[in-house]
Order: sequence, then structure tokens, then C-alpha cells
Amino acid sequence: MAKPAGLGRSPATWGTVAILLIAAVAGALWVPIYARSLPKLGPFPFFYWFQFIWVPLTAALCWICYLLLRSKRTAGSQSADGGGAVK
Amino acid sequence: MTHLNAVTLFIVSAALVIVTYIGFASARWRPAEDPMQLNEWGLGGRGFGTFVSWFLLGGDIYTAYAFIAVPALVYATGAAGFYALSYTIMVYPIAFVFAPRLWSVARARGYVSPGEFVRGRYGSQGLGLAVAVTGILATMPYIALQLVGIESVLTVLGIGGTSGNAFVRDLPLTIAFAVLAVYTYLAGLRAPALIAFVKDTLVYVTVIVAIIYIPGKLGGWAHIFGTASTQLNTVNPATGKPHGSIVLLPAGEWAYATLALGSALALFVYPHTTTGVFAAKRRNVIRRNMAMLPAYSLVLGLIALFGYMARAVPAVNAGVKAGGGNAQLSVPLLFAHMFPSWFAGVADAAILVGALVPAAIMSIAAANLFTRTIYKELLKPDATPAQETRMARLASLVMKIGALGFALELNRTFSINLQLLGGVWILQTFPAIVISLYTRWFHRAALIIGWAVAMVYGTVQAYRTPGGGQAHFGASTAPVFGHVTYIAIAALVLNLVVAAVLTLVFRLVGLQDGYDATKPSDYVADPVTLPVAAGPSARRRAAGQTAGGQTEGAAAGKAGPTAGLARESGPAPAPRIPD
Repeated sequence: MAKPAGLGRSPATWGTVAILLIAAVAGALWVPIYARSLPKLGPFPFFYWFQFIWVPLTAALCWICYLLLRSKRTAGSQSADGGGAVK
Repeated sequence: MTHLNAVTLFIVSAALVIVTYIGFASARWRPAEDPMQLNEWGLGGRGFGTFVSWFLLGGDIYTAYAFIAVPALVYATGAAGFYALSYTIMVYPIAFVFAPRLWSVARARGYVSPGEFVRGRYGSQGLGLAVAVTGILATMPYIALQLVGIESVLTVLGIGGTSGNAFVRDLPLTIAFAVLAVYTYLAGLRAPALIAFVKDTLVYVTVIVAIIYIPGKLGGWAHIFGTASTQLNTVNPATGKPHGSIVLLPAGEWAYATLALGSALALFVYPHTTTGVFAAKRRNVIRRNMAMLPAYSLVLGLIALFGYMARAVPAVNAGVKAGGGNAQLSVPLLFAHMFPSWFAGVADAAILVGALVPAAIMSIAAANLFTRTIYKELLKPDATPAQETRMARLASLVMKIGALGFALELNRTFSINLQLLGGVWILQTFPAIVISLYTRWFHRAALIIGWAVAMVYGTVQAYRTPGGGQAHFGASTAPVFGHVTYIAIAALVLNLVVAAVLTLVFRLVGLQDGYDATKPSDYVADPVTLPVAAGPSARRRAAGQTAGGQTEGAAAGKAGPTAGLARESGPAPAPRIPD
């Protein structure tokens, strides 16, 4: 049986996407790294500014992943759905 | 706090009138060729691009209740309330992984709710029903809580709320909700999608102004954090411990992490969120939005800081105390005391409209679930698309009346308890919905039993948790093996263990498995939605095909526009398998 077409990207691409997404989640999930008040950024304890910076960072990581997964799919729906029909 | 401010009231009323106009006008936005298809009323024709989806999902996820409750939690406990920010950080990378697959299979098979997907994936009515019932149960109190958000604003505005006459007291809320019910009935998902533009504009304006304007008036951030820290460190006479702290203590870290993770996993299996996902036009719209929605998380984080600002305003502290220690009043009171009355009106309108959008989407989502998984599956299997749509409209009305009843008849605490339970419950559908996108390794019967065990465990555990002056449902976290853990996560682990063990047992004894109505290619399908349908004859043809039991969706997705339409017009009925 043919592999679903959506999985047709290189393992390197999938690996990169996985690492980026795991890093994004881990930064928020691993609470001990930011549950502290120092160093402060102006009046803001570390606990706050770390999380506030992590928000746009996560957005950027998701965007990179989107670009990575999109690039091989320039043909749009055709290449995406071809796998199912070919099998 | 009960004085009525004419300017504020005028601005709020004007916003509500504009929103009502948009709500009714939205019925004519991107008109459907055949409005009596469920995916027209219930999913806005599955035609929303990146931009509209961003507003719709943002309007859907960041509810008025969150805007009231998150700062209220921060006001009351400090840093622990910030788990909401952590949760909205990790939710998008997680959803990035599975939401596109969920969209694809729904699009390819014509599913409008997650219940149908599970039913089709496992050939199990029981499992589909479990998912649908859980979704509806979890959504009802969530709608009711939007009303609690509205009530907080009305109380501070001095209308409703405080009157001795029950009829007068409930009238503003009832009117607001009745109007919402009517335009949702008529326009379906198009109404909240358009109103979301107004909501989010109001929210962004309010938050940006507040974050620039208020700290200056209060003597700067250093003073705000200092005051909050001092007040939170005072001992709470009820518990004999400090109220909280502005930096999370080591003892609270596990609870913080599990609350954030559990909420993040649960968010995209909530019916109102899947509805927003299913309404997208293309698969890439979902991924793009996962990178764009964090903009709202930033706003939520800033709103959470309002809790500390409120601490620094003595009049707000007095108002909260006068309201019976109700921290939910802190943000509306902050607006009332800090802003000139016209801008307080804008801010209050943001919360009011922010309640109407999710309430509409939630009632539509619950109606879609009911119609496809209960009505069509159990009550009237031969329902036509028009009958489905009529049923869904009716169900959305019933859902709102029920929520209004909840909000008016039962006390606020009960709604909040149920919402807490809703979060625990909805996460128990995660294995059936999300894990099933990747594997059918679990046996359908094992999944049902795992779900049932976890539902009972979660409910009992929540019931037995005291806190906040209540004997039951006092908190969403409880000690599990010595760690204070989000109950939903503990229940999910139990759910998975039971399901895994029973799967092995059932396979060993050779218990029959269900038929899988989906194909591997469905999960990566990305069919194009045509803005204008090929013509009424194509619709009829499509309807004929599905009625005739055409199940294999002819080279799903590959065949282009016509096949896309055929599948869009109605779901391919799953073959009936001995259940």
C-alpha cells in the first residue's frame, strides 16, 4: 500500500519540524526554568518577561514549520491527494 | 458601584446595536447557493480563508470569560493564574501537529463534528455518542459562563444585577441573549465570524490603551508589582496561608505545568474549536493560523496583568470586597475607575461582544454534534440535508435557552464548577479524537471503557476537592501520588492505561473490531472549495449519490472540484456494520 502522500517529505524535514515544535512546547512546559524572579527586565520579574517573549518565539517556530512543510507542496492539492488515488 | 453612567451605557448600547445589525446582515454575506446544507449553516460553507479564520478562531478561543476569569485568578492568587499564558503558548505547536489532519479527514468525509469522525473511524455508534455527549455536556456550562462574563459587566454598569425585582434584574441579559439567538438561528456560523471582527478590534484597542495608559496613572510597573506582591503576601484568614505570590513557588510548579498542558490538549477537542477549524477553506489555513493566533495569547497575557493593576487601585479592592469578595468584578471595576466613561464603555463593550461571539459558536458546535451524531445517527437516519439544518438551528436555540436557564437559575458557583468539570470531561475524548488520527491500535470498546472510567474518576476527584471556601469542586487540581496535579491530566493517564490494557485483552480474546470508513489519503486531503457551486443539478446529483450509499468517495480528493462538491454536499454514509 502506498504511503499517504502527505508523508512524502524527507526525514530531515520532519525531524526539524519535530525538534522545533517540541522546543516550543518544552519552553512553556518546563516550568522550573522560568519560575524565578531574577534577572528582571526593567520592573518585570523573569517569570513574566520569559513567557511574554516565548509567545512570539513560538509563533515564529510554527511559521518556520509551516514553511518547511509547505515548500514541497507547490502543486497544491494534486500532490497532496495523489497518494490515495495511486494506491 | 451601582451608579449608572449615561456615557458608558450609551457606548455599550451603541456597540450592541451595531453588532446586532452585523449579525442579521451576515446572513447575506457570501450567500450559499443552498443554505439548507448543514455545512452552510453550521460551518459557514467551509470557505473561510486565513484572515477570517484568524478572527473566528481568536474570537472563539479567547472568550469574555477568559478576559474576566484569568485576571480574576491573577488578582486572587498571583503567578499561579498565569498558567493561562503558558497554556496558550503550548497549544499552537501541539495543534499544529494534529489539527490539519482533523481538518482534512472532516473535509474529505463531509464531517461537521468530531463525533462523526470517531463514529466513522471505528464504526462505533457508542464511541461517537460518547464523544458527542461529552462535547455537549462540556459546552453547555461554557456558554453559561459567557453569560457570567456579561453579568459582571452589567453589575458594574449598574444595570440588572442589583435590582430586587427578578424580572428587571434578568431583563438586559435575556434581551441580549434572545437577539443573539435569533441571528445565530438565521445566519449560522457566518454571524459570529463577522462579529468577531468587531469583537477583536474592540479587544485589541482596549488592551493596548489599557497597557499604556493605566500603569502611568498608577505610578509605574514597579509600583504595580510591588503592591500586588505585598497584598498577596498577607495571610488569608480563611486558610492561614498567604493569598499567593507574584513568582511561582516550587510547590506550585507541577500544578502549573499540568494545568497548562491539560488545557492545551483539551482546547482543540472542544466542539467550538473544532467547528472553527472545520470552517477553514484549505489545510494550510490551519497551519498558518497556528503561527498567527499567538497574537491573541500576547493579549491574554497582558489582560492577565490587569489583575495586578486592579490590586494597585484601592477603590477596586473595596469594590471587590463589597461584592462579596468576588474577584470577577476586578477587571470591570478597574475599567470603571481608571478610564474616562466613554472609554470604559468601549472596554465594557469589548467584554460583552467578546461573550456573544463564543456563545454563538459554542451553540452552533453543540447543535452540529447533536444533529449528526444523535439526530441523524439514532433518531432519523434518512434525514435530508434540509431537515438536518432545521434540526441544528432548533438545537442551537435549545442550547442557548438551556445556558440562559443555567446562568439565571443556578448560582454562579455552580456554572463555574461545571465549567471546571467540562475541562476534565472534554480531555477524555482526546484519545478517541486525536490519537485516532494516527492509529487505530486502540480497540473501540477499550476506548469507550477508558473514557467511562476516566469520566467517573475525574468527576469524583473534582467533587472531593475542597478549596476557596467550598467543600466540593474547590479547585481543578488535586494531589495525585503526592503531586498536586490537574485532575484532567490524571484522568487522561488513567483513561489511556485502561484503554491500552483492555485493547490487549480484547485482541487476545478476538473481540470483533469495527469497520474504518476513512482511508489513509483522507488525512492529508486538501480539496479546493469552489466559491460558486457548479449548479443545482450537481447538488442534486451529489445528494443522489450519497443517498445511494456511495461510500468510497471515488478517488477521494483527486477527482477535483466536482468530487469535492459531491462529498461536501453530505457525508458519505458510513456503511452499517454490526456494532
